[in-house]
Amino acid sequence: MDTGTWVTIISLGVTFFFMLGVPVLLVIAYWVIGCSFVLGLTLDNMGSELLNVFNKGFALLAMPLFILTGDLINRSGIARRLSDFAYSCLGWLRGGLAMASIGACGLFAAISGSNSATTATIGSMLHPEMTKGGYDERFSAATAAAGGTVGIIIPPSIIFIVYGFLMNLPISDLFISGILPGALMVFGMQFACWVICRMNGWGYLIPLQLNRVLKTAFGAWLGFFAIGLVLWGIYTGKFSPTEAAGVTVGFCIIAGLISYPLNKIMGSDKDKPVEEKGWSEMFVVEGFKVWEIPSIVVRSAQISGILAPLIAISVVMQQILSLLGAQAVIGDFVTSMGGYYAVLFTAMIIVFFSGMILESLPVTIILAPILAPIAVSAGVDPIHFAVIFLVGASIGFITPPYGLNLYVASGVTGVPYFRLLRYIVPYLVALITVWFIVALVPATALALLPSR
Amino acid sequence: MLSEFFNIFGALADQDAFMIRTALRTNGAWLFGGFLTIIGGLIVMFMYKKVPFIDRHLEKTIMVWSYLAIAYIIFMGVIDRFIFNDQEPWSTTIPPFLFMIMAWFGAAYNVRLRTHLSFSEFRSRMPRVGQMGCLILDAILWTGLAIIVVTTTLRLTANSAANFQIVLGTDNVMQWWFIATIPLAFILLAGRVFENLSDDFRRWRNDEPLIEQAVIGGDV
Repeated sequence: MDTGTWVTIISLGVTFFFMLGVPVLLVIAYWVIGCSFVLGLTLDNMGSELLNVFNKGFALLAMPLFILTGDLINRSGIARRLSDFAYSCLGWLRGGLAMASIGACGLFAAISGSNSATTATIGSMLHPEMTKGGYDERFSAATAAAGGTVGIIIPPSIIFIVYGFLMNLPISDLFISGILPGALMVFGMQFACWVICRMNGWGYLIPLQLNRVLKTAFGAWLGFFAIGLVLWGIYTGKFSPTEAAGVTVGFCIIAGLISYPLNKIMGSDKDKPVEEKGWSEMFVVEGFKVWEIPSIVVRSAQISGILAPLIAISVVMQQILSLLGAQAVIGDFVTSMGGYYAVLFTAMIIVFFSGMILESLPVTIILAPILAPIAVSAGVDPIHFAVIFLVGASIGFITPPYGLNLYVASGVTGVPYFRLLRYIVPYLVALITVWFIVALVPATALALLPSR
Repeated sequence: MLSEFFNIFGALADQDAFMIRTALRTNGAWLFGGFLTIIGGLIVMFMYKKVPFIDRHLEKTIMVWSYLAIAYIIFMGVIDRFIFNDQEPWSTTIPPFLFMIMAWFGAAYNVRLRTHLSFSEFRSRMPRVGQMGCLILDAILWTGLAIIVVTTTLRLTANSAANFQIVLGTDNVMQWWFIATIPLAFILLAGRVFENLSDDFRRWRNDEPLIEQAVIGGDV
């Protein structure tokens, strides 16, 4: 049998493993092992790459640090303050609480970089209030799932770090290029939310009060400071994304530790309504004790322990794909579609359908090295393509059957997976519309880049 | 191959990095790696069963302290640069190694919690015997991967030690001290695989549910 036949058999075999529920890490690892045998490559290459990915990857360090940031702002109470602020600003609109939930996702995403953390945090915080506020529980769960998609687009973003690392693109440029598309995604979903809530008459309206907006904005100052710190550092080039992540972690730990005793002295109660709280009570968040830090860190470490090995093994997979000439085969197919737009839309279709059955990380790791060079050769800017690719990958978080955010939202809200699918459709339409806008208008991704 | 396998023990007894490297280059290294992974994994499983405290805290402690050390070193590096116009040269070279340690011990921890990403829709709907078959398949595949990684990274460790590779930015911190944690993590991973398999057989015998919803942030 020739190499192609063997590789096909191996690929079918590992796909079968995947369908049987074998972890993706093993699926990729055994594809690599099988192909290495077929190509006559030594397995020592695999061992050395499992080291080199970390050894030579200072940029990749931003990933675990931004994951930790998400957990720290959640535990310290900063995330709660950001969502209070979003509700104060949007509560006067029909569906205001749901729109605030999406807005809070955007703000949370601007400090953390994880979609599932965004969905889990905002979903668990606002779902009970939304159901109490007269929203359908399925819609509430769907809102948390959809809102989480911006977690990986608004900087900082874990997936941008991975993409930049794999494709050798400046991560700070990628972060900046995600700002406008992320904001568009938030507005697009908020519009869809407003339409649905108006049609169904959901939600109670609260008057727009300047005092409440200012008070909650003041209460969220630590969150805004963290957002500003990340964006300022990266935008001005004062620190690299990894250093920005380290600084944010340090800031969140210090803020959490200082806030805890101050909060106790002030005797403020986190469950007290905003209207009844004084301005001084809004100054500090709940914070955490020093011995709570390990329990916060272990959760982040567990997530990093899932993602980092996957990235490591996928780097070896990429090498094998290059040796097999996979880029050329898929490249021929995609380029045969025609020029700039045909290549772009074919790539988008591939990303969309892959996102339906795979998590965004494997989609990125497997497809980005194949599709990006083709798109670039067709004239698409590499940064613009990265944003198009990753917005598509983020939509994959809410496309069944494998939409990770749908599972996370189902888990934190208790709404069965299949029941929340109905209300995910309007958000999907909004996100796909934004995706096309981002694809057709390169300025959405490139306008804020300092070098352009 | 058997003689090559025994040569490795001889080289290890001599404690000479160059001899160990040469011995591990042979095909006997695969036998050695397999032996080390399986025996080491069984010892780890036995240890976890006898000392539940280690079972609950070993990987978690390593992960948490590596994580905090990474954050501290990078944070202090930035503070050093901004305030004191200085930065330790190792502040960018040690954290990647700590990340590596955290990642591979984290991988072992996730094996125990079965939280590695997977598409479990079909598996959860399978009949009981099919589910047990899938769990055994997982165990075989994890063990196979652990053997490959232990063998290949042992070679890397020996190579690094024989070449006296030093972590950049330091005077005397050897790279192999860090690299050696990869085979160690995979031996712990094998221990977790055996522990899971033992639990699966117990559940099978007691007619308990075999597949449970994995929880990120859960405990062992």
